[in-house]
Amino acid sequence: MEASKDFQYIKDLDYVYRADIGLSYSSPCRGAWNIVHYGTLVPEGHQIYVCPVSCLRGVVLTTAELGFEAMKKLSTIAVGEDNILNGDLEEQVLHGAERIIETLEKRPRMVMIFTSCIHHFLAVNYQRVYKILREEYPDIDFIDCYMNPIMRRKTPPMPSLRRQILRVLKPAEKDKGQVSFIGNCFPMKEHCDLTNFLSRNNIRVSDLTTMKKYDEFKAMEHSCINFTFHNAAAWAGKDLELRLNQRWLVMRESYDYDTIDEDMRKAAEALELEPLSEAEIKKEREMTEAAVEKLKKTLGDVPVSVDDSAVDRPLELALYLLRHGFRVESVIMDVNSEPEEIFTALQKAKPELKIYAAHGWNMRRARTKFDGKIIGIGQKSAYLNDTSYFVNMTENAGLYGYAGIRHLMELIGEAAAEPKDMRTLIQQKGWNCHIEEGC
Amino acid sequence: MRDWHVHVFTSTYTADVSGVCSAMYELGGMTILHDPDGCNSTYTTHDEPRWYGSKALMFVSGLDELTAVLGDDDVLINDVCAAAEDYKPRFITLCGSSIPHIIAFDFKGVAHLIEKKTGIPVLPVPTNGLRMYTVGVGMALREWIRRFADFSLKPEPKTINLLGVTPIDFSRQELVDAMKTAFEKRGLAVNAVGAMGESFEQLQKVCRASVNVVVSSAGLLPAKFLSDKAGIPFVEGTPIGSFMTDKIAEAVLQSEKDGQNCSVFDRGKYLAKAGNDEYAGAEKTNLIIIGEEVCSLSLAGAAEKVLGKDAVIRALFPDADEGIDEEALVDYINAADAVICDPLYRNAFGRSHAKLIPLPHEGYSGRIFRDDIPVFLGDGFDIKAFIMGM
Repeated sequence: MEASKDFQYIKDLDYVYRADIGLSYSSPCRGAWNIVHYGTLVPEGHQIYVCPVSCLRGVVLTTAELGFEAMKKLSTIAVGEDNILNGDLEEQVLHGAERIIETLEKRPRMVMIFTSCIHHFLAVNYQRVYKILREEYPDIDFIDCYMNPIMRRKTPPMPSLRRQILRVLKPAEKDKGQVSFIGNCFPMKEHCDLTNFLSRNNIRVSDLTTMKKYDEFKAMEHSCINFTFHNAAAWAGKDLELRLNQRWLVMRESYDYDTIDEDMRKAAEALELEPLSEAEIKKEREMTEAAVEKLKKTLGDVPVSVDDSAVDRPLELALYLLRHGFRVESVIMDVNSEPEEIFTALQKAKPELKIYAAHGWNMRRARTKFDGKIIGIGQKSAYLNDTSYFVNMTENAGLYGYAGIRHLMELIGEAAAEPKDMRTLIQQKGWNCHIEEGC
Repeated sequence: MRDWHVHVFTSTYTADVSGVCSAMYELGGMTILHDPDGCNSTYTTHDEPRWYGSKALMFVSGLDELTAVLGDDDVLINDVCAAAEDYKPRFITLCGSSIPHIIAFDFKGVAHLIEKKTGIPVLPVPTNGLRMYTVGVGMALREWIRRFADFSLKPEPKTINLLGVTPIDFSRQELVDAMKTAFEKRGLAVNAVGAMGESFEQLQKVCRASVNVVVSSAGLLPAKFLSDKAGIPFVEGTPIGSFMTDKIAEAVLQSEKDGQNCSVFDRGKYLAKAGNDEYAGAEKTNLIIIGEEVCSLSLAGAAEKVLGKDAVIRALFPDADEGIDEEALVDYINAADAVICDPLYRNAFGRSHAKLIPLPHEGYSGRIFRDDIPVFLGDGFDIKAFIMGM
């Protein structure tokens, strides 16, 4: 089969690969979190979006779909033609924020004010506004946040927000018994090697995804190390390292055993703990290989398709599966952010691996019914292949290391065994985002 | 002083850009939304029930900082031409959001250049992302009609068009069919529906109608255009229940005869003006209807038939530029016995004792209550049972 405009074979691709050039298509897959979902993680926080109605519509309904309780954690200020003509965008933010704070039933501890593309282009001096608000409401932390996709090539909104939220943390005494996981959407529990390792060494983990109170969040400034698991969290890690002198360690979402061992060893060293022994590592590897082997026997020759909404490193996962004898049909992704050696190895392992650009305009009519059963790892691959057999997860879903790989194998096995209501599930916004009353 | 911009706990109506995309969706074109990102997924997620699995073409340009600062329109032109070459759409619609607006993007000029390069008709629709969907639907339909309608056709008696019809106001085809059936039962042939469940070819014959029925305020711009350009009068009104459908049918025959435009509701009587600085408290009402203008006013007329002439009934609808003032909204709700509105307004009820009669509206709550939208059009809708909760 010849490569078409819908996809390219990996053998024909350059390592530097960006598909988000040109007209963009909007896939019906909605599981990936947006800035609204992430902002709702802040306990006792309140989000204010200041934008034209065309932008407000998306954020308000994202929240509304989380329920009426969520609506109490978000307000909006609509930018109108009058503001553009009068040049009163600063006053609008100031007076709007004041009215919102005075109207809310419960005083928020943090107010995140999101300005938009139009503020950037009209050079609005919002820092002056925040200064006044901080003086007026000293009991509230005001954070400048950004919903300005026009800047997405330089400062994309999601990594920016993960950093901005943590800007309230101040230099503080470090607690050797506490670390932070930063920039995650989901709690890292038993399917994360680092969590298990820290737990057995009685190190407390501070993680925004599990917090109920604002004071818990502020206590993150006492952590001695910040761990990040995603590229989108890198700015946050770097920022805290520079501002608070908190050490930043990157836990790479890798399927390469040596890489996992190396990152875990660095974590242990940084905490001055005994790392996993050779015997323990050997056991982890054997258990993982057994899990993979079990899945391989279950799947047989049934192909899989991987996408970048499910995992941060779809190419590395594809390579891992290929090396374990799986039939990998395609990878759906927009930008290649993985190491070059992975890309090159994958080109050699399967030159005719199909690469689809998730949001390329040609994808609008590319959707095909795969001939036979196929397992999608992620929502985009499920939709593209029109399959009900898929792993419904986003942003690696709290998986890391050997335990993470083993659980992923279980999820793939479950996906192969039981079809899901793909049409309904993939269209739900913000996979696994829940708002609890009072948070 | 009131400030319509601030919404502490209520949602917002959808914007002009979604209106354009929605109106053009079924006509075989390709709609380009000139915007950085975001407006496209908002539209396809919340405003477009037909998106999943469909092949209709709508894309966002992905405008970035450098392109906007440099005013490099070639980026957009080349991208559109590339997609057009592959998809060969029947026409292209070009609309935009706030950044093209503030950098004075030349919709008409760029449309002309793309058309010259591709040979495909391009409709410039200079939206700005700051206004209501009704404006976008209206501008797009007007432009489409200006370009493609066959103005040589002569009006045929007792033939109508329904203008301002999109899923944003009427959700499902079932509702549109209910409208058509109701009019046809009264001897009025429905010539074209602008634009839902309609073909390109049939909409081209829009001038065959003797009267246009503006069933939502989104239809007002094309109706005025057709009135000026082709001399086709229009009647404003939504056929909610038998009583209002009868009134519209009578008005259509009258307009056909005298050529005058008219409404089937008493706007001045039902109007509950929002966003007015002079406004000071709300009058006590028996019923407030919140929603799109023509639908709400028509529903007010239908409700009066049930509640009687003495009932104080008001319609509160969003301004095209300002939406609904939240403080006025709360005042009106607090002073009402009952409110017909989208369920998403529930947060605005606070300590009000008013009864909420839910009438979901995709233009407000998107897809959240889509399955609960009743067939509120045509003869099958029992307004009394709806209001009384029977």
